[in-house]
Amino acid sequence: MSSDDSNPAASPTPCQDIQGDGRWMCMHNRFVTDSKGKEPDVLFVGDSLVQLLHEFEVWRKLFSPLHALNFGIGGDATQHVLWRLGNGELDHISPKVVVLWVGTNNHGLSPHQICGGIMAIVKLINQKLSHAHTLVLGLLPRGKNPNPLRERNAEVNELVQGEVAALPHASYLNVDPGFVHTDGTIWHQDLYDYLHLTPQAYQKVCEPLHDRIKALLDQPAENQVS
Amino acid sequence: MSGEEQNPAAVPVPVQDVQGDGRWMSQHNRFVQECKDAEPDVLFVGDSMIQLMQQYEVWRELFSPLHALNFGIGGDTTCNVFWRLQNGELENIRPRVVVLWVGTNNHEHNAEQVAGGILTITQYVRSCLPRSKVVVLGLLPRGERSNPLREKNAAVNNLLRSALDRMGPVQFLDMSAAFLHSDGTVSVRDMFDYLHLTAGGYSTIATPLHELLLQLLDDIPQERRASLV
Ligand SMILES: [Ca+2]
Repeated sequence: MSSDDSNPAASPTPCQDIQGDGRWMCMHNRFVTDSKGKEPDVLFVGDSLVQLLHEFEVWRKLFSPLHALNFGIGGDATQHVLWRLGNGELDHISPKVVVLWVGTNNHGLSPHQICGGIMAIVKLINQKLSHAHTLVLGLLPRGKNPNPLRERNAEVNELVQGEVAALPHASYLNVDPGFVHTDGTIWHQDLYDYLHLTPQAYQKVCEPLHDRIKALLDQPAENQVS
Repeated sequence: MSGEEQNPAAVPVPVQDVQGDGRWMSQHNRFVQECKDAEPDVLFVGDSMIQLMQQYEVWRELFSPLHALNFGIGGDTTCNVFWRLQNGELENIRPRVVVLWVGTNNHEHNAEQVAGGILTITQYVRSCLPRSKVVVLGLLPRGERSNPLREKNAAVNNLLRSALDRMGPVQFLDMSAAFLHSDGTVSVRDMFDYLHLTAGGYSTIATPLHELLLQLLDDIPQERRASLV
């Protein structure tokens, strides 16, 4: 299902520079150039949730020491990440773990399509980096109050979890520490605009994530055995 | 050229909830509620440049202690900010200084229109809060290399500089030069995506902004100052 051309979420697409400042392509080019001198053990790829992580203290505390690179671009949907990874971002590195967090920006698509987009990325990573393990992070709930996008993201997670379970080179991690309170609301102290994480929320998300990455790094060559 | 109503950047417009999670209106409603609960001395209003500042240490270090509220929403244009201010975000509060930073997201408007939109908002704030001072922040360069949006933002700044000069207790603070390197590039160390500021980028603007705010908050009338000497 991953190379389904009729699924826009699974068709590699560069972001169109509609605004006219060329920022997206500059970032992509920088990632490709940056990766040449580096030998990251961990690669983070995704949208603004990955990108912003890099700007806060938690990145320096937990992930920099693991030799991690951050290829997050705000606003990216699965098809954009798919294009980036197929166009140089994986060509000069061989990380042991790839953390993938994308999908919440795939607006107007069904959970099946979004899952198809995520799985297409997982497949591409496996083709390009046969020894890497891909850790797919679950999409977070969004919006202050219950809304269709929360349900959509939850459905994507269920589908992805099922698909990934069958793959030896990938796994799924739910990183939601419980952002939705009993009254159904999300607090701005966690998601400041009801989508993006505050430094405190990153802390909650990143501690279990860090543990999982450490465990994967310590695991000797799992893929080759299976 | 004649009326403000002909400038599309000076028309109040709420953001349409195209994505379907109602986040924009939830944030606006929260800000209106905060006006009822808090008595800020400084109000920050604008787009993501304002909003993201609150997520960095610099907010807690320099601006929170001034009793500041942050009404920034990512992606907002002058139209969206104007709508929010007209719909409750200036009610129940009497800040002594309002900091306005918006305009870089007005992609459908030219420099004259964007500057006009910012001036309209400034006048509106002045009319609602006649005793408050206003600080308008200049738009920053964007994109790694020179591009039309940078030129537009620079043109907006030039228009604002001359227009705001004649507007009484309104200050214009333009820090764009600090972000342009001699080879014309913007560094990712300042702007992680060539638009939004890193913690380091915020420190660059925070120092002069904080000093200006202290001055404005501290300002005692000239005659009293004279009598103190
Ligand atoms: Ca109040």
